Amino acid sequence: MINKRRVLSAVAVVQTIALTISLSVPLLGQRKSPASDSIKIPFETYKLSNGLTVILSEDHTTPTVAVDIWYHVGSKNEMPGRTGFAHLFEHVMFTGSGHVPYGLHDKLTEGIGGGNNGSTNNDRTNYYETIPSNYLESALWLESDRMGFLLDKLDIAKLNAQRDVVKNERRQSYDNQPYGRVSEIFSAAMYPKDHPYSWPVIGSMTDLSAASEEDVKAFFRLYYAPNNATLAVVGDFDPKQTKAWIQKYFSDLPQGKALERPKVALGKLDASKRLVYEDRVQVPRLYIQWPTVGFKHDDDYALSVMSSILSGPRTARLTKALVYDTQMASQIGAFQNSAEDVGVFQVVVIPRPEHSLTELEGAVDQVIQKFISEGPTVEELQKAKSGLELGFIRGLESNLGKANQLISGAMFYGNPNQFGTDYQKTLAVTAADVKRVASQYLTRSRIVLSVVPKGKKDQASKATESEAVTVVVGKRRGGRS
Amino acid sequence: MKTQKKVLACAAALVISLANIAAIAQQTIDRTAVPPSGPTPVLRVPTWTKTQLANGATLIVSERHSLPLVSFTITFLGGSNQFEPEGKRGVASMTASMLSEGTATKTGDQLSDALQLLGTGISSGVGGEEGSLGFVSTTQNFEATLAILADEMLNSTFPAAALERLRGRTLVNLTQAKDQPVVVGAQVFNKILYGNAHPYGQRTTETSVKAITRDDVMAFAKAYYQPGRSIVTVAGDITPLKAKAAVEKGLAAWAKAGDKPSFDYPKLPELQPAKIYLVDKPGAAQSVFNIGLPGPPRNTPDYFALQVLNTILGGQFQSRLNANIREQKGYSYGVNSNFGYGKGPGPFRAGGSIVSAKTDAALVEFMKELKGIVGEKPITDEELKTAKDSLIQGLPQRFASVSAISNAITSLVTQGLPDDYYQQYAKNVSAVTKEDVLRVAKRYIDLNHLAIVIVGDRSEVEAGLKATGIAPITYIDIEGNPAGN
Repeated sequence: MINKRRVLSAVAVVQTIALTISLSVPLLGQRKSPASDSIKIPFETYKLSNGLTVILSEDHTTPTVAVDIWYHVGSKNEMPGRTGFAHLFEHVMFTGSGHVPYGLHDKLTEGIGGGNNGSTNNDRTNYYETIPSNYLESALWLESDRMGFLLDKLDIAKLNAQRDVVKNERRQSYDNQPYGRVSEIFSAAMYPKDHPYSWPVIGSMTDLSAASEEDVKAFFRLYYAPNNATLAVVGDFDPKQTKAWIQKYFSDLPQGKALERPKVALGKLDASKRLVYEDRVQVPRLYIQWPTVGFKHDDDYALSVMSSILSGPRTARLTKALVYDTQMASQIGAFQNSAEDVGVFQVVVIPRPEHSLTELEGAVDQVIQKFISEGPTVEELQKAKSGLELGFIRGLESNLGKANQLISGAMFYGNPNQFGTDYQKTLAVTAADVKRVASQYLTRSRIVLSVVPKGKKDQASKATESEAVTVVVGKRRGGRS
Repeated sequence: MKTQKKVLACAAALVISLANIAAIAQQTIDRTAVPPSGPTPVLRVPTWTKTQLANGATLIVSERHSLPLVSFTITFLGGSNQFEPEGKRGVASMTASMLSEGTATKTGDQLSDALQLLGTGISSGVGGEEGSLGFVSTTQNFEATLAILADEMLNSTFPAAALERLRGRTLVNLTQAKDQPVVVGAQVFNKILYGNAHPYGQRTTETSVKAITRDDVMAFAKAYYQPGRSIVTVAGDITPLKAKAAVEKGLAAWAKAGDKPSFDYPKLPELQPAKIYLVDKPGAAQSVFNIGLPGPPRNTPDYFALQVLNTILGGQFQSRLNANIREQKGYSYGVNSNFGYGKGPGPFRAGGSIVSAKTDAALVEFMKELKGIVGEKPITDEELKTAKDSLIQGLPQRFASVSAISNAITSLVTQGLPDDYYQQYAKNVSAVTKEDVLRVAKRYIDLNHLAIVIVGDRSEVEAGLKATGIAPITYIDIEGNPAGN
């Protein structure tokens, strides 16, 4: 994989989470699966005196190990006018640090048959190395050096090159990508101006240009301290030796200031909005979003289960009705996309040529109205949960996957074992729960966005009532660069 | 010394005592020294059994009992290039999708529901030179899932209505693909390199999809899904004995038929002098580059030298292309290169997405690196060592999951490689010399005959490209046909 140092949208993260938690209940009348004992990841955890949380989990299946660090900072911590900064900073973390010349990080990872990468979303930034197990010590040294000594060798030319790289990342993944602007249009429409989730993780071109050396330094000092980080080592290692190395490389890094985590308001629309966006596409698409809750809210479990009942397999409600029965749609998807503080439920529909977005919106609403009034059947609920166990066990095949699960729990819930709680709470979701969240959230004010070919605004759903999105959103200050 | 440690785990005492030891060590910690690596772990290649089933299929079983998972795959030698009739490009994939649309005893909905309740799904696909049917399940659900796979493979009814639905979906997908510069670039590149007569230059089109009939689908299925060209691979929490019994029971109705296809391809079109093929994409924010020419097949004796070569040139993040064009110049989010090995002459390709304003400058850099690797910038001892270390020490990753193990073993059979390939891998990579790398670079990266395919905004990039003087420009449309001037 060469396109490293990627931005990871909230959507992507949530889909990963949804994959692991949203799917399974032991079948009625089936013997109890011996595999259900497998819903565990053995680990130990402790804290260094500087506040760094450490999690260790051994797995000697292959002679490899993953070192994974999450910092509890993401795009929501940015200031308006500096959108995209958390992610740009992630790139800077790969340009060398006090004792590590540029390039050595890659040499000690991909250069020895391993890999490394980083990713940023609204809530957190992560960095990892996957390496042959005999290179664990150097990986810990690399991570500790950029946690402690990034600014010692901050190279402005490298910052500027990465600024250009990130702008190209934006072009490649959003601007030159059909339908690539949808997520930022929704973020801007769903939340009030200056709400921490109202701008895209990738940021705007103008803001990326504005980021200064001083911004990098201030951001590092505030957020990249051990007390704002969680480190996991998962795989083939000796725990005693590894603890000694962690102590050696991390324990003398100074603790940072305690961080205040601002209370973030949930998305809420006073009235529904209809938007139309003209893109360089030939096939129009319909998107509908309702504000829901973040992943720390218990309704997230029922919303995730609901998404599996509405779309995915051919017998899911929306898929069956629109793709199979009436065949108005080529494809359809429904997802609960949740982040730490907020979430949305989204439906996306790709039409067949003979069918208008207005027709499709009506058909989606019909299916959802019926679902709200009757709720899911026992079998639907069972099917929605049946993949959960397999998904979890397959996740155990990856050192990095386990590390991410453990850290996510530690960072957001103070409990590395949170995956087990998520699993149990998903299994416990009842038909009544799903019916309730359907009627509670899918009847709210919502945003309907039609993406149509250039010059074809009349193809929007209820075109005359739709407001054109003309300004490229995410550029919150100044004009287009 | 730090006191008052917050120790959450049960190993509190141990951690604190370690902390004391380490605190002493800290006074002498030298962060400037790169910590040494430990001894190289012993390579543990999975073992497997290989037997012949009565119907002619090869059965491979590899045990791994660490988790209650089983990976099951039937791999078919030969693909759309060998089995699709003229003018029916797309029938292979269509047939693969149709298998789940209904069988003699179950509707498509019933098949889907049964799989959902088993918590898994069956993947089905046919590529250019091989196809497969498979799943990963819990150990407990292995036989029940296998029964559904067998039903789909052997008893599908290929309902006419389902074909129309899938045709409609495929046509929408083809329309959407035209809006994706990366997809257009790859399609046009193949067409330029291989032409219309070579399967590597052909693809599914609106015309070919519209021409597919239900009879075509049924004929393809009958000809294709045969044991004589199949490798059945079971990897995971199961013994060879149990796997064989389950497969013989589950696939009992799969009668002996079919044989291994030949992979004869027509002659390549004559190589053209280097040319820039420009596809106009008005308003594009980036130019999508594909630079290359037909390369060697997988069975080339130059394989290991080529792997080392590509690792140095464009296989990794710190390879020459990306280190220059992304990291130093900032023209791109990532560029790379690869050899597309197959049974035939798969392409050598270098490329990536480049900011429109730097299209000309990036082309200059691409050419500089290609000239460099064929001799102008000799590879260093350090580059050679890092490339080899990376290839050799990355081997264990290929056995990280049950499906990875299945792929690693099956690919030896499909590619005609020896059973001890992985044991010999380090030796073969180590044997590559700088002279070997230079020799294969000169042989396969023929600078005089490169096709340089660029999908971008002509009004913004044309003048700059001309000014580079690197090659004349030919204008083509998104189908790869001449677009006039």
